Amino acid sequence: MVALTLVVPTGRLLEDALALLRRSGFLVGAAGIERPAEERSLILPGDDGLRVVVAKPADVPTYVERGAADVGIVGKDILLEREHDIYEMVDLGFGACRGVVALPAGLADRWDVGTLLRIATRYPRITARFFETQPRPVEIVALHGAVELAPRIGLADGIMDLVVTGATLRANLLTEVAEVFRSTARLVVNRASLRTKASRLRPLLDEVAAQAAAGG
Amino acid sequence: MRLRESSTARWRQLPDGLRDLPPREAARRGAVASALRETFQRWGYREVVTPTLEFLETIVQGAGPGLADRLFKIVDRGGELLALRPEITVPIARLAATRLLREEGRPLRLAYVGSVFRGQDAGSGRLREFTQAGVELLGAGEPEADAEVIALAAEALARCGVRGAVIHVGDLAFLSDALAGLPEGEQEEVRQRLYRREFAGLEAASADPSAARLLRALPRLHGPGTLDRAAVFARSPRGTAALQRLGAVLACLEDYGVTDVEVDLAIIRDFSYYTGLVFEAYGPGTGYPLLGGGRYDALLGRFGADCPATGFAIGVERLSEVAVPREASGAAEVVVTATARDRRQALLLAEDLRRRGRSVVVAAAPSAVPPAARFLIRVGDGEILLTDRRAEGAGERPVTRAQLAAELGLPPAVGVWSH
Repeated sequence: MVALTLVVPTGRLLEDALALLRRSGFLVGAAGIERPAEERSLILPGDDGLRVVVAKPADVPTYVERGAADVGIVGKDILLEREHDIYEMVDLGFGACRGVVALPAGLADRWDVGTLLRIATRYPRITARFFETQPRPVEIVALHGAVELAPRIGLADGIMDLVVTGATLRANLLTEVAEVFRSTARLVVNRASLRTKASRLRPLLDEVAAQAAAGG
Repeated sequence: MRLRESSTARWRQLPDGLRDLPPREAARRGAVASALRETFQRWGYREVVTPTLEFLETIVQGAGPGLADRLFKIVDRGGELLALRPEITVPIARLAATRLLREEGRPLRLAYVGSVFRGQDAGSGRLREFTQAGVELLGAGEPEADAEVIALAAEALARCGVRGAVIHVGDLAFLSDALAGLPEGEQEEVRQRLYRREFAGLEAASADPSAARLLRALPRLHGPGTLDRAAVFARSPRGTAALQRLGAVLACLEDYGVTDVEVDLAIIRDFSYYTGLVFEAYGPGTGYPLLGGGRYDALLGRFGADCPATGFAIGVERLSEVAVPREASGAAEVVVTATARDRRQALLLAEDLRRRGRSVVVAAAPSAVPPAARFLIRVGDGEILLTDRRAEGAGERPVTRAQLAAELGLPPAVGVWSH
């Protein structure tokens, strides 16, 4: 049987991704692994000839584009930030979140003034593209995490980051002033694998898509 | 090794996405490039060379403005913008439209091998300079022309020792016809998404129910029977004709004996360039297509010569990774040494072996022998002493000229050095 490698992201999408694979019957022996060591890539036992690899979210498209993995699960936010030559096949529905610009609650009115804003973000390209459509100038501060702290210590005026419930924004006294994008988890596929491993891969895509649609 | 400050000196580094090819890799690439050149030439495609730099305007004229921010640009003496060519089809279209079609008539069969340059993202790991080899068949619009370049593509892969590759064929004329009923903005949105290979939620991009049905079905429009299943999505006789033409190309490929072909209407490539049949080859061992091409009937018109055209391009470095070249170590297999007294005889022997196809290094002293060489020949006092480093024992032994020829795998003909 043709071997398939599937890569799933660490972090907030991991549990839903593993649950989806389990429901689809592709992950059998991994019942005990609810939260694999967060910071380390690892390989989980999958169905016959299926290997599941866990990687950093931003690395998932690279694994898939280069063919190290045939299929991947990754947030749309990652796909929007950097262009990759891969097929985005299915919207899996889970992991819903939004990318928003937020300013400290007391400074939210600066959004309407049009002065230069310093925005801290893990998504410098999406942010730059968004501000190209805005009348106000921007200076982007690219960070790798803990973006919401940046306004509190004077590193930036505001942030562009993912929001799920809004609790983090509220806890840091930030107010949303604009929505930049909406994101959910996507199933992505390597260009060559879609063709060279079609007989093995197509049923997997169908099953995962069906389970995702049913699972809500 | 620890990264020290001195190791960050500029001269130790290369700009992002550029690389050196050491002898072994260069030999591999060279062997693949020669196999491709020879194949193209045997099919009657003559090699042309165009400059590495073109006016930015020429490239944009041919490939569309979408490409402009991905180019390496240079300001010329007069302040004019030049760009390093990102591919070679547009320069060839320029050359053909402005000169060759007028001077030589049609059809024209042209081939090329050369470096191309792309301004990829920093840190993406993608190469910014690589080699493309390809052909263009200009002035032939019939299905037989498409079949010819696809068959040549299959032959080129086979000649490079690639096994198990399949050529997947789609058609943009069919897709364009199916989307023709959409409002202009929606059409552009759908094309953009197809170009970015975004199939998730694609059907939602179109309010038109028949277009939405097609977009939902598109990832499945591949394999046997595809042409029949796709027929319902044709909007006008143009779409039906595109499918019929695709059928004619496949029938022609059967006569060529090319069987590893599959219809796959989700093969898109680039709408701003291709106008009809498009194809990509995929094989085991790589996550990227081995080659890609198709029909681009509008391109030469942008340079003032209306002319149908089709062709393909191969990424030579990527192909080298999966190709099985015949002999490509890049190292000299034979080393001849002699003292100053016997130098003349040694040089004559080296000359003879080179003429008979062996790669030979003449070393002044045994201590200067390259480690990778297999055969060591020492000439002294009219004697030939041979060491085969791959043989058991690997000792030095005297041989006659006939024995030497046999050991090196040469025909037993007598060499010129004998007197």
